[in-house]
Amino acid sequence: MKSKLVLLFVLLSLSISGCASITKDEVLAENIATQKVSDPLEPFNRMVFSFNNVFDKYALRPVAILYRGVLPEFARNRITYALNNLSMPITTINNILQFEFGKAGISTARFVINSTIGILGFFDPAAYFGLEASSEDFGQTLAVWGIPKGPYLVLPLLGPSSPRDFTGLLSTSLLDPTYQIGNTANRELFRYYKMGTSTVNFRSENIELFDDLQNNSVDYYAAVRSFYNQSRNSQVSDNLEVSPSVNQDNLFNDFEEFDLDDTYIGPDISIDYPE
Amino acid sequence: MKLIKILLTISLLSLMSSFAHADFEAEEKFVSSFADNAINILGSDTLSNADRSSQFTDLVMRSIDINLISKFVLSKFWKAASDEQKTEYLEAFKEYFIASYASKLDQYSGEKVVVISSEASKKYVIVKSHIVRDGTDTLKIELDWRLLNRDGETKIIDLNIEGISLIIAQREEFQSFLNNHDNDLDALIDKLKSINTKN
Repeated sequence: MKSKLVLLFVLLSLSISGCASITKDEVLAENIATQKVSDPLEPFNRMVFSFNNVFDKYALRPVAILYRGVLPEFARNRITYALNNLSMPITTINNILQFEFGKAGISTARFVINSTIGILGFFDPAAYFGLEASSEDFGQTLAVWGIPKGPYLVLPLLGPSSPRDFTGLLSTSLLDPTYQIGNTANRELFRYYKMGTSTVNFRSENIELFDDLQNNSVDYYAAVRSFYNQSRNSQVSDNLEVSPSVNQDNLFNDFEEFDLDDTYIGPDISIDYPE
Repeated sequence: MKLIKILLTISLLSLMSSFAHADFEAEEKFVSSFADNAINILGSDTLSNADRSSQFTDLVMRSIDINLISKFVLSKFWKAASDEQKTEYLEAFKEYFIASYASKLDQYSGEKVVVISSEASKKYVIVKSHIVRDGTDTLKIELDWRLLNRDGETKIIDLNIEGISLIIAQREEFQSFLNNHDNDLDALIDKLKSINTKN
């Protein structure tokens, strides 16, 4: 308990110092700068990535396929909603740490309404009242405070991450209010169930996507790295109220340049039909 | 007096927003018709495999600026390539690209892409849309389409799924592959060809 208080204090003081020294624009600039891929640990990361793929191939993917085969769509959607609902208390904490008090109100209201009227979060009546919110984690909060992301990191079993996101993950597992219910044994059990379910649920929603990436990539590792980095960057853009597409504009700056100063355009691509 | 002022402002504002909307009406229609056609073709039970693939190729070629995309994803390596390499690469990439779009859009067969809004963003128009997950009405997948108008023709140059730009991912992937293969473009072309024959 004491360690949690210390952590909360550290987080709060970080937030205050972060806000004093960094403006939204600077955070945004940092965010755009980090869209340049930083992967100094690539050889190590590739090793862990291969290990994770073996685990995925023989354990996670088969379980995800079984999960999707056994549970009807209705049940899987209920589980997605319930997991979403369980992420609301920690989202509220993050909303507050990001000084988004309006959003904190919405995520609290969502949790109260969906846990009761929505029957333990299996349904989402709050959305019908116009209360919509996306989950927020500590990684995003640290980003809003202007903490740099650091190099790309592939963690054993946990997958793609960064020092900033890993710190966020550790803080979440310590501070998430839904992990504080019941006695120690129940708490641990609940934590494993929740983590296991959300992992399998996520994997089952992305079976085709990962199959496609694995079969059709010229470099699967680089494809996953790009997906992870882009996805996290766009979540942070959302926090900063910038549309992710607009945020990517600068990456498209040299798009037309290829036509402007290139004398050779290549053959006109004709349409020929594969068998 | 004050009330009239407020009402006037409100009506002016709504007028302006309706004008702003009308600006990209053509782009929005373009995206929804592309998405509908793509999903219909890929999900069709009546078409033979050959017809499905030829119709999809035709649609992609009409709607997507593949010449520009081919060069963009290769970045600086495009300029260093020989004429021969460029010819070979463009052909291999076209086939690779169409197959990869087909398998990405195929996941959404039977679902409907709903266009939400559009906005100008530098020289591009971004059309925002979403797909509502089967069996729910609030679980959504967000798709942003980046369009570029060149020589009076509007074409798609990127699809962004939940904040992930497919073109940027492709570019990073090619960069990474080339960095790990002594910047040898021929190695990439061979790799593309071997994936194409597998499909």
